[in-house]
Amino acid sequence: MKDLNNHNSPFINFNQRINFKFDGVKYYGYKGDTIASALLRHGTKIIGRSFKYHRPRGIYTCGIEEPNALVQIVSEYSEPNARATIKKIYEAMEVESQNRWPSLDFDVGSINNIFSPLFSAGFYYKTFMGPHKSFWKKIYEPLIRKAAGLGKPPKEFKAISSHLHHNVDIVIVGGGLNGLLAASSFIDTNYDVLLIESDNQLGGILNNSSKINEIDGKKPQDWVKDTIENIEKSKNIKILKNTLLTTYNYINHLIAVEDKYVGAKPAEDKVNSTLHKIRSDHVILSNGHIERFLSFQNNDLPGIMLGASFEKYVCRYGVIPSKEPVIFSNNSNSNSLLQSLLQLDIKPKAYVDSRSGEQIESELFDLIRKNDIPLYTNAQIKAAYGNKKLEKIVIEDSSGGTNEIATDFLCVSGGINPDVHLFTQSKGLLDWDEKDLTYKPSKPFQKTINLGSASGQFNFEEVENEINKKLKIFKLKKIKVEINLNSPSKYKIQKLWEVSPHKPSMWSKSFIDLQNDVTTKDIRQAISEGFDRIEHLKRFTTNSMGTDQGKISSINALGIVSDLLDKKVNEVGTTIYRPPYAPLSFAAIAGRNSYEFYDPERKSPIHQWHIKNGAVFEDVGQWKRPWYFPNSKSESMHDAVQRESKNVRENAGILDGSTLGKIEIKGKDALQFMNLIYTNSFTKMKPGYSRYALMLGEDGMVKDDGIICKISDEHFISTTTTGGAANVLACMEEYAQTEWPNLNVYMNSITEQFATFNISGPKTRDIMREVFSEIDFSNETFPFMTFQFHEYQKTQIRIMRASFTGEMGYEIYVPANSASKIWERIQEVGKGFGLIPYGTETMHLLRAEKGYIIVGQDTDGSITPIDLGLNWMIGKTKTDFIGKRSLTRSDTVRPDRKQLVGIIPSNKEDQIQEGQHILLQEAFQTPVPMLGHITSSYHSPTMGHTFGLAVIKDGHRLIGTKAFASTSEQKTIPIDIVKPIFYDEKNERLVS
Amino acid sequence: MLLIDCPYCGPRDQSEFSNGGEAHVKRPDGSEEISDREWGEYVFIRSNPKGLFYERWVHTHGCRKWFNCIRDTSTDEILEVYKLDDPQPPMKKFENKIKTPSGEPDVGSGNFTVKK
Repeated sequence: MKDLNNHNSPFINFNQRINFKFDGVKYYGYKGDTIASALLRHGTKIIGRSFKYHRPRGIYTCGIEEPNALVQIVSEYSEPNARATIKKIYEAMEVESQNRWPSLDFDVGSINNIFSPLFSAGFYYKTFMGPHKSFWKKIYEPLIRKAAGLGKPPKEFKAISSHLHHNVDIVIVGGGLNGLLAASSFIDTNYDVLLIESDNQLGGILNNSSKINEIDGKKPQDWVKDTIENIEKSKNIKILKNTLLTTYNYINHLIAVEDKYVGAKPAEDKVNSTLHKIRSDHVILSNGHIERFLSFQNNDLPGIMLGASFEKYVCRYGVIPSKEPVIFSNNSNSNSLLQSLLQLDIKPKAYVDSRSGEQIESELFDLIRKNDIPLYTNAQIKAAYGNKKLEKIVIEDSSGGTNEIATDFLCVSGGINPDVHLFTQSKGLLDWDEKDLTYKPSKPFQKTINLGSASGQFNFEEVENEINKKLKIFKLKKIKVEINLNSPSKYKIQKLWEVSPHKPSMWSKSFIDLQNDVTTKDIRQAISEGFDRIEHLKRFTTNSMGTDQGKISSINALGIVSDLLDKKVNEVGTTIYRPPYAPLSFAAIAGRNSYEFYDPERKSPIHQWHIKNGAVFEDVGQWKRPWYFPNSKSESMHDAVQRESKNVRENAGILDGSTLGKIEIKGKDALQFMNLIYTNSFTKMKPGYSRYALMLGEDGMVKDDGIICKISDEHFISTTTTGGAANVLACMEEYAQTEWPNLNVYMNSITEQFATFNISGPKTRDIMREVFSEIDFSNETFPFMTFQFHEYQKTQIRIMRASFTGEMGYEIYVPANSASKIWERIQEVGKGFGLIPYGTETMHLLRAEKGYIIVGQDTDGSITPIDLGLNWMIGKTKTDFIGKRSLTRSDTVRPDRKQLVGIIPSNKEDQIQEGQHILLQEAFQTPVPMLGHITSSYHSPTMGHTFGLAVIKDGHRLIGTKAFASTSEQKTIPIDIVKPIFYDEKNERLVS
Repeated sequence: MLLIDCPYCGPRDQSEFSNGGEAHVKRPDGSEEISDREWGEYVFIRSNPKGLFYERWVHTHGCRKWFNCIRDTSTDEILEVYKLDDPQPPMKKFENKIKTPSGEPDVGSGNFTVKK
């Protein structure tokens, strides 16, 4: 095999071999190699199969813009779609090609290429329409998904990342010639500067090409080394290497991802990548340019590569992809490729330039002559041919004659584009340059400065001037730089987007988007079908989508479209470049907010006791609450809930209600504030009393409920629903600050400071008397809806006579630290009285029997207190409270609003379920006029059948009538509409 | 992400704040004197201009204080931040400063070239 190494490259350590596997075959590269450069060293051409037609594809570029060479990194949790052109190899790395079966060389899917005349733009939309809608979901889509696509998603998400915040004055994006010069001018100033470079080497074009011969009288490499040394000495400049800026947000908020393991296997227990979140005053974009390709027949064959990428492989990676390439260009940027090759005594097989002899730079002309290289001017490459890789090309010269040349490699250049993605993400405005045939940044929207080729300034002689002019606002010392060039200083290009086809055939293709297999024919078809707006055309053809976002081809597509429509490119416009600039992994975005840190779990102070006693937990917001306590492994949820409910009604039960929101309200005007926040009136209420209260929105709808304890006119404690706690506090704060700032009132959450135990059942009083022996629990001294503070074992506790089950009961509030001690004491005493712990499901059943609502289950933000039949809770004498006026709006006083009722199946064996609709008619005929739906439904062990709560239109008037509940089997169940209370209607047990 | 200059804490990332909609909407007292329409307008109707907007924010994950600002909804630029009891600043002084992203037209697509 030929030696393809360029030992002059200082970036590759040829003494250190690195072994890796590609598709199971052993390869080696050297320290510093990417997967692509290492494979090119072995002459490997085919890297993957294409997205749609399964055509063999090779390495097209040498950087982030790569459309073809995407691989799966098996040794890194099977990371898909890694770009072989930037991913560095390491010892024992395992890489696999993508989208091929059974093997890369023989791929069954390539039959798609034979049927390709069928697969034109919009093929899927047009073809897979019938015979029935379900065919798409069940047959077509799974098949298409299997055949098309890129890498396979990894099965596990394991990578660890961390986030880092920066606040700086200046961010310089790109550490090439301009980035380094800009950074140098900030040395030892008062500006905090961050220099971001995506490569592991600073230098950019100085490393990648032989364009510059000498800079400040030094060889480029020496200049770069000295410059970095000076920058690193300066304390105000930080350099971030291996860091890709993906996102440019509003107010100079940037997001960049740093790869911590370049050229090494990521450690499983260490941070693999850092997501930098950067806020900066100014952003300097010196991120360079991207070369574009050209469309001609079979321009996707392995062995075709961008010219500047070829040169970068030679200079930066020390590998010569081919020793006899043909060069095809329409611009002056390819001159340095020829220079680089000739420096290594490599003679291209031919130089094909679409420009005429007079347009070509005289230096280039002389060089080609001197070295006896066949030169074709005014010529175009019409087609490339080969079986799985490039074998020959067809050149058509100015006279119309064709020449066939056998070659294994072709370097293509269609011109260069400033890398404007970040600039447009920042909302900066672009303008088409008719001379350089590309979009260039024109008007920044933020404090953004473009430098060098990123600004569309391709002339090295202007570098000094541009930097001094654009950085003038910072009042820095002017820079001086002397650049001695190898290649012409001025950039010249001739318009050429697509070469007209050589021999039109059904199977040969002229690609415009390599990653998505879009051909120039697809573009023509889309336009003829009316998709002539660039954003429509993109969606219809999938042009410039995918992981590369058409970085090397989207401008060509604009050119072709503008010619077809006979419009200026500026009128065609570009599609909008959206972040991210290049794909970034979810692991990097997630940072430490994964697994147990994704959403915090909140636990009650007696959580451990629940676990020990076999509780099954339910998530209520972020809280973990015991759902039910099965008494054995075999007991089902239904059986447990029936047993728990029965026991509460017959003996006693205790519920951990610690998750209830608790808010303390204090201040001189606390009474007035509470009267405004809740519907109820607290004015006549005596201290030591508590009251069930409703909170409305300004629209009059029920937002939350809870029990309010009045300690004095200046001190209240309210409870809220578990899920509503944060919102209720926020609402109180909002009104206190914005509407009634004149009121002297303060509020604070005390949810987590106190545990709450809800104990109820006929034997409760006996248990309480034994546990808290010094307290008198008689009805006379401790009546229903009152509370008392007591000292118990040196801890202040608050006991309230209240119940959510319908049985007589107490709520005990204890400081969180003493919670488990007191809880366990109650359990110990309670055993003798048949006390059991119960969970949320039993609580729901018991409260529903009593007709107590749960806000958010029986209400949905469209239910007023009147709809719930809770008119008695509205303070009639109050002049104002949140939502008061809404209760008399014409819409809220309509009689046919949905109102809360109870329902019982007429036939007691029937089962009704939550969510079922209520109908007036028995027959199930569509359309079904629906009255409302069942909001809560349970099987009651006390009644021996199912029952439910429902909200139905005009419900209060319909009480006592019959209706039907619809089932999912399109049947109906006859039901009786009753009052929403099923147990102890006279509250005798409650106040006993 | 916006950078919001909390009048109590200083500039902080948007993720620390919650938006509270239009500012300077006066809450009528809840009396029956006002008509359904008047009350309904207070409860349900808010303006949604493209351009300058008086807006409320609250520093939820910070000092929990409410404050007002003038924001240009077309550029997201926050032009002035002020406390609730500060006088309402006039919009006039900012009217000439309105610029839309990429110079797009006043309404419609963000990509002005599509409209041509």
